[in-house]
Amino acid sequence: MDIFTNLADGFATALTFQNLALALLGTFLGTMMGALPGLGPANGVAILIPLAFTLGLGATPSLILLTSVYYGAMYGGRISSILLNIPGDEPAMMTCLDGHPMALKGRAGEALSLSGVASFVGAFLATWGLILLAPQLVKFALLFGPAEYFALFALAFATLGGVSSTNQAKSAFAAMLGLGLAVIGVDTQTGVPRLTFGEVHLYDGLDFLVAIVGLFALSEVFIFLEHRHGSADAGKSAATKIGRITPSWSMLKATTPTMLRSSALGFIAGVLPGAGASLGSFISYSFEKRLKDRDGTFGKGDPRGVAAPEAGNNAAAGGALVPMLALGVPGSGTTAVLLAVLLSLNITPGPLLFQNNADVVWGLIAALFIANFMLLAMNIPMVGLFTRLLMVPPRILMPIVAMVSFVGIYGISGSSFDLLVMIGFGVMGWVLRKLDVPLVPIILGTLLGNTMENNMRRAVTIANGDYGTLVGSPLAISLWAVAIIGFVLPLFVGRLVKARMHARRDTESSTSD
Amino acid sequence: MALKFVRAAVTVAGLTLATGATASECIAPANPGGGWDFTCRQVGKSLQDLGLIDSTMQVVNLAGGGGGVAYAEVVNKRMEEDELIVAASAATATRLAQGAYPGNTMDEVRWLATIGADYGVVAVAADSAVQTLPELLDQIKSDPTSVSVAGGSAVGGWDHLKVLIAANAYGIDDVRSVKYIAFDGGGEAVTQLLAGSVQAFTGDISEAKGFVDSGDIRVVAILSPERLGGDFADFPTAKEQGVDVIGANWRGFYAPGGMSDEAYDGWVAKIAELYASDTWKEVMANNGLAPLDLQGADFEAFVADSVAQIQQISKEIGIIK
Amino acid sequence: MSDRIFGAVGLLIAIVYAWATLQIEESFLSDAVGPKTFPLGIAVILGLASIAIALKPDSEPEWPSLGRLAEILAAVVVMVLYAEFLPVVGFLIATAFATTYLTWRLDTPPLQAVLIGTLTSGGIYVVFKLILGLSLASGPFGF
Repeated sequence: MDIFTNLADGFATALTFQNLALALLGTFLGTMMGALPGLGPANGVAILIPLAFTLGLGATPSLILLTSVYYGAMYGGRISSILLNIPGDEPAMMTCLDGHPMALKGRAGEALSLSGVASFVGAFLATWGLILLAPQLVKFALLFGPAEYFALFALAFATLGGVSSTNQAKSAFAAMLGLGLAVIGVDTQTGVPRLTFGEVHLYDGLDFLVAIVGLFALSEVFIFLEHRHGSADAGKSAATKIGRITPSWSMLKATTPTMLRSSALGFIAGVLPGAGASLGSFISYSFEKRLKDRDGTFGKGDPRGVAAPEAGNNAAAGGALVPMLALGVPGSGTTAVLLAVLLSLNITPGPLLFQNNADVVWGLIAALFIANFMLLAMNIPMVGLFTRLLMVPPRILMPIVAMVSFVGIYGISGSSFDLLVMIGFGVMGWVLRKLDVPLVPIILGTLLGNTMENNMRRAVTIANGDYGTLVGSPLAISLWAVAIIGFVLPLFVGRLVKARMHARRDTESSTSD
Repeated sequence: MALKFVRAAVTVAGLTLATGATASECIAPANPGGGWDFTCRQVGKSLQDLGLIDSTMQVVNLAGGGGGVAYAEVVNKRMEEDELIVAASAATATRLAQGAYPGNTMDEVRWLATIGADYGVVAVAADSAVQTLPELLDQIKSDPTSVSVAGGSAVGGWDHLKVLIAANAYGIDDVRSVKYIAFDGGGEAVTQLLAGSVQAFTGDISEAKGFVDSGDIRVVAILSPERLGGDFADFPTAKEQGVDVIGANWRGFYAPGGMSDEAYDGWVAKIAELYASDTWKEVMANNGLAPLDLQGADFEAFVADSVAQIQQISKEIGIIK
Repeated sequence: MSDRIFGAVGLLIAIVYAWATLQIEESFLSDAVGPKTFPLGIAVILGLASIAIALKPDSEPEWPSLGRLAEILAAVVVMVLYAEFLPVVGFLIATAFATTYLTWRLDTPPLQAVLIGTLTSGGIYVVFKLILGLSLASGPFGF
């Protein structure tokens, strides 16, 4: 087999002492940056580019270092999601939903190690997908024109209701708030500023990192201030119990189908340029919930709700490398940065990359495997260490979280204005949490809003103003069909489930695995 | 594990410290990873490699307003600094010309030098019937709705203006009828050309190169004064096809308006020396940058000219009043 | 009651949003859809959702007492001051002050709070500036 000879060559390139050391360094720094709110994979990679240059690394070692950071950050985001209910980066947002409730039940250790395993499975399968399917996948991505992208994003929003709280109107409100915030800035289609009120800082729009850190991290700080939880170490007594730090076999077995399904979904979402890891973890979670949430345990600490988004977002991270390598099109912020690195190393990604720079590509793929195994080996034993974080009393932990959030944002944009916007989001997040409005749709809206609108407008403009083009291809029609089913079905099923839950609420105490 | 972390941390910290005694600073007016960020980092690294600066150039990212936030910061707060340079490109000139940096004009800063240029190209899919630029423009002339042109910049941005200038030069009177679709970057625009969603692509040569080599797209015109060398020699210029257009996306730097003449001349000399070096020739070749060698007063005049030209075109097509 | 007020405020936001959208100055060079269509659609759904919230309110959330509310307000003020003074006094000093304040307000004895504030500020400086090499605000003393 050609592939295996190539892969063997790749491993021969990657398995030097220097490269292994770089992979270890990269995975560690990546995990750390992923876990710190405000620093995500994109910034993590960008920050370490100078290091790669300073060390005078060649093409393959540089890529090994930076992709290790990338995969590491995808792993790391889950840590703060589970322990603090604050997503370390945007794809880890969905992990909060079930990960933190697990931690509150004293199962933080299990949640962390299970999510580590799920991350591994997702990334591992995605790397194989990258090897075996890259050429075919490129053709698949080319089926997506502007109209199909619009349908895909509509699908994501149609399934929102199932993910978050009970009140559909509040989910819709949150989604529209997010989309509305995404509109702010210079309109890329016509160049006119929209809703900027003449403020030059707003011309580039709101950075979703600012939004996510404000909404999640700062609002958490406000909630602590409100209850003055600080001194009361007993206030979170359940959380300080770490529980077992490895998942039981039965739990792994129960979540295996979840991981496999989510990996496939996440990978596909990653392959489509512009969709990326956040959409991957989101779709994985909502699909899994649709499919398996018979007893309403999702959102209350169901292990499958932890496994699904983690497998999904790590698979998407691998998937996003497909369009980057084969088309030179970044599927996410991080791959955009990696693309810049490739260009600066005299490697032009594109259709000929696999022929012209085979050694680099296969070395990179081997590095992905190595980084992935390293992350698994590093993450499982370190679960115990991470969970110690919960021993720190909140009166000390929360101010640190707030300050790290500020620094993360300021260090990247260098702008006080962004900090003020972040505080605004923090206050808004606090109020909305009080009113039981889910925050996830807001982030999803700010993340996808621009792409969604632009694709709709591109499609209609190409068709000379004919809105019919939005349902003009078989692929678009099928996506709309899934979206409509996803929106309508839970309205009926939801009622059924609620009725059943009522019936058994008294008799059953929930054990979710 | 903890020990390893400490060692790694110490190694990294050591590296940063060893090179961290900064004297000079380069502002990249965008987030890490973009073109301006790359300009700062690549030039900073090369200057140090060549021994033109003693210590690492510190790269500061100051994103916002398509470069407007950095421009305002330099003009309002850092006018007198001698050790500060800021990355700029044709996009900076375009925005200045269109008044997209509210309250700022190009003569508030001192323009230092260019480090190269990326020439514009117009391309079609390999299986397209269109072979030359005039054929494409004829199609647009007879039925503007039949041709969608994709580019990586916003409407009114540089990729768009290039097509409009070409259409204008070819005698299309109402250039506003040209159907331009803005994508997020040249890569995405090329992809949609391959997907068949659009009929033509306008962008920079570096964005198109990989797809030309693989035979997926065909360049119908390059907007350079004469044919380029090397791999690019096969691309016909617009000029030789009778459409008199030149479109160069230059990359370079500006400095605070209050910089002393001495410091200004020093920077100009440093960048000139960098530009002349073999190291930089290699960087240019690797990144598809074409020669554009303008320093000091020449560069000031060049920016003034291009601002005036863009202003005139933008007025003609109604982007600005 | 809270949800009814929330719904009313939401409706107001939707109206203001729609109004602000209509103020967008369109250029001569528009695409087939235009910059206003999408935000207007958002405003409509936002308004409908707000009406639905107002008509079918959830159970009342637990609002904090006035004292606690003042506490949160004070924290917001401190954070705003932090953002404003960060570039002026430099990272280490500003961060130490802000952390000390927050730690103190979360019931840490004052002396201990000062200690924690200083340590946090230094620790973050080491991680972000020295290890990760980010540029933090440097202030008059260079740190």
